[in-house]
Amino acid sequence: MFSSNKRLTAVAIACAFSSSSVFAEDSSLTNPNISAVLDGFYQSGDRGLGGRSEGFGLGETELAISANIDDMFYGKVTAILEVHDGDTEIELEEAFIQTMAMPGGFGIRAGRFLSDIGYLNNQHIHTDSFSDRPAAYRAFMGGHYFDDGVRLTYVAPTDLYWTMGIEAFSGEKMRAEDEHDERDFNSVGVYSAFTKFGGDIGYSSSWQVGLSYLRNENGKTYLEDEHEPHADDDHDDHEGHSHSASYTGENTYIADFVYKWAPNGNYKYQHLTVSGEYFRVSDIFSFEEDHDHEHDLLSTDSDDYHQGWYLSSVYQFSPNWSAGIRYGEVDTFEAHGDHLDPQKLKETELSLAWHYSHFSTVRLQYTNQQGTNFDGFEDDNILTLQYVMTLGAHGAHQF
Amino acid sequence: MRINSKKVIIAATLLAGLVSSSANAAFNVFACEPEYAALTEALAPNAKVYSATSALQDPHQVQARPSLIAKMRQADLVVCAGADLEIGWLPMLQMKASNNKVLSTDTGLFYAAEHIETLDQLTQVDRSMGDVHAKGNPHLHFDPRKFLKVAQALSAKLTELDPSSAAEYQASLAEFTEQWQQAIPRWEEKAQQLKGKKVIAYHSSFRYLFNWLAIEQVADLEPKPGLPPSSSHLAKLVNRGQQGDIMAIVVASYQDERGANWLGERTDLPVVVVPMSVGGNDQSHDLISLYDSVLTILTEVE
Repeated sequence: MFSSNKRLTAVAIACAFSSSSVFAEDSSLTNPNISAVLDGFYQSGDRGLGGRSEGFGLGETELAISANIDDMFYGKVTAILEVHDGDTEIELEEAFIQTMAMPGGFGIRAGRFLSDIGYLNNQHIHTDSFSDRPAAYRAFMGGHYFDDGVRLTYVAPTDLYWTMGIEAFSGEKMRAEDEHDERDFNSVGVYSAFTKFGGDIGYSSSWQVGLSYLRNENGKTYLEDEHEPHADDDHDDHEGHSHSASYTGENTYIADFVYKWAPNGNYKYQHLTVSGEYFRVSDIFSFEEDHDHEHDLLSTDSDDYHQGWYLSSVYQFSPNWSAGIRYGEVDTFEAHGDHLDPQKLKETELSLAWHYSHFSTVRLQYTNQQGTNFDGFEDDNILTLQYVMTLGAHGAHQF
Repeated sequence: MRINSKKVIIAATLLAGLVSSSANAAFNVFACEPEYAALTEALAPNAKVYSATSALQDPHQVQARPSLIAKMRQADLVVCAGADLEIGWLPMLQMKASNNKVLSTDTGLFYAAEHIETLDQLTQVDRSMGDVHAKGNPHLHFDPRKFLKVAQALSAKLTELDPSSAAEYQASLAEFTEQWQQAIPRWEEKAQQLKGKKVIAYHSSFRYLFNWLAIEQVADLEPKPGLPPSSSHLAKLVNRGQQGDIMAIVVASYQDERGANWLGERTDLPVVVVPMSVGGNDQSHDLISLYDSVLTILTEVE
């Protein structure tokens, strides 16, 4: 977070850049691409698991600068401005360099960046077809997982798309809760490995499947035998504003797929996207070794795991209109003193979006949320009216 | 021992065969649009050419899909229209493909628009103008003279990247040039009757064709470049269409015909679908037959 002076400076610098880019003759990658994304909404209720809250609000206002640094390196900085409880926060979501000229299909990215695990995680939230990330992302990835670290990727020279990569991150956002501030966390806490395959089926269809594994050294929650139940404000941490993962574990497995269809492969007038992901977070709790009544817990709970999934389908039926449906579930455990409470959240969502051009979207979304043992929201039925608009050079979207 | 040594010789021969065949592996070309795939095939008959899009796909809106990343990963040369036509997807492919050979026009990247003078260059661009680009109109393959310049530049690029086949590239360019120079007067004679004719068209897709043949595009089905035809905009075009001087409403093979048909019904104007590129209709199987087909369609408008 920046102080307000620094914040003004950042905006001023961005403005200075953007005015010069308007007059730049050449808007290709060699000049800095400047873009801003504006996201505003009105919502009729609070969403569970750190989703948007009731009333008027701003989503993530994004300011990004990217360019080729030279013929070897590409760089990007993305700042996110968010308003919470009257305070404007600035967070750096991306500040990375990427190699462009390594031989043999290899590439390295270093700095702060979005992890490439799963399908949605490496995509910016404003490209989504729904106002919030699926509940599984809000529960296990802190919405979307970005962190300080390094990534090595390899693309195979095959007609079937095949890429694989490994990442190492500081993992601060993924640490298990540490109520008493007494744990020794590993400074490199998160390692991941992923692979993706993809291809076409005829002219009209394309697909991609991915498998990811994330090892979180600091993800296991240590339980103590507390006779008092946790204070209620613990839940507020989960439901309130937080970029950290709400539910952690030592091992996370993700399977994802996406299928896209457009008549003759022409995406301009209509296209269909079907995607889904499954998360399983295991080794979620550990117990104090030297405790007398540990076995009660161990015997019943050692196999417990969190899980979540979603299935989404979005049909753009004209250049101006798209409609989407998404269903998702999250099953988690919350520790309450000497026992674990299972929780479940189910979300059914319908969205209708109007796209005046490539750069402006107005969305109406209905969400039905059903929580079992989840605190923090009261309305089951929520309407969201949202706009997402892009100014300036707009980077290409990923598949 | 004799048998063994024979085996060794056979194995060595096989190995040498494998190595040399991989050394002679086809020169891989990734073309952004089918017209550049066709041009590359004409100029480098032995190359392995892949077209990222078809004449039925809008080249402005292509998904940076996995199959394209895989093809670009293996490319020795990427040939595109340029002038920012592919700005929405090419940079993403380049980053994802991790192929350092095709990042820069100094090496294995070729932009056709850089080798000719584009039409409609703008000194200032604002989004309220629609999806326009400062570098001018990129749909340049329907100006045969400009396209011949592109062919010469592409042949030079092929020679630079693959000097061992220089003689072959030179011969192919000579053959292409000869065919082209024979065809141009034939096309121009056939198109005489189109001179000064007025059309309503969709986007500036045929800007170079109309410029070459002295056809005037008096209105656009798009309210602004990149925005689909809206009913209010089409309603405004009805008057213009009824003035009696319009030859036809022209749409490209990848464009939606509904707006054109709506306008055609209200103005009694013929709607013609013109292949945007090679493969856009059954008659267009290479560049020459593409031009032939386009001119036949336009000259047969009743």
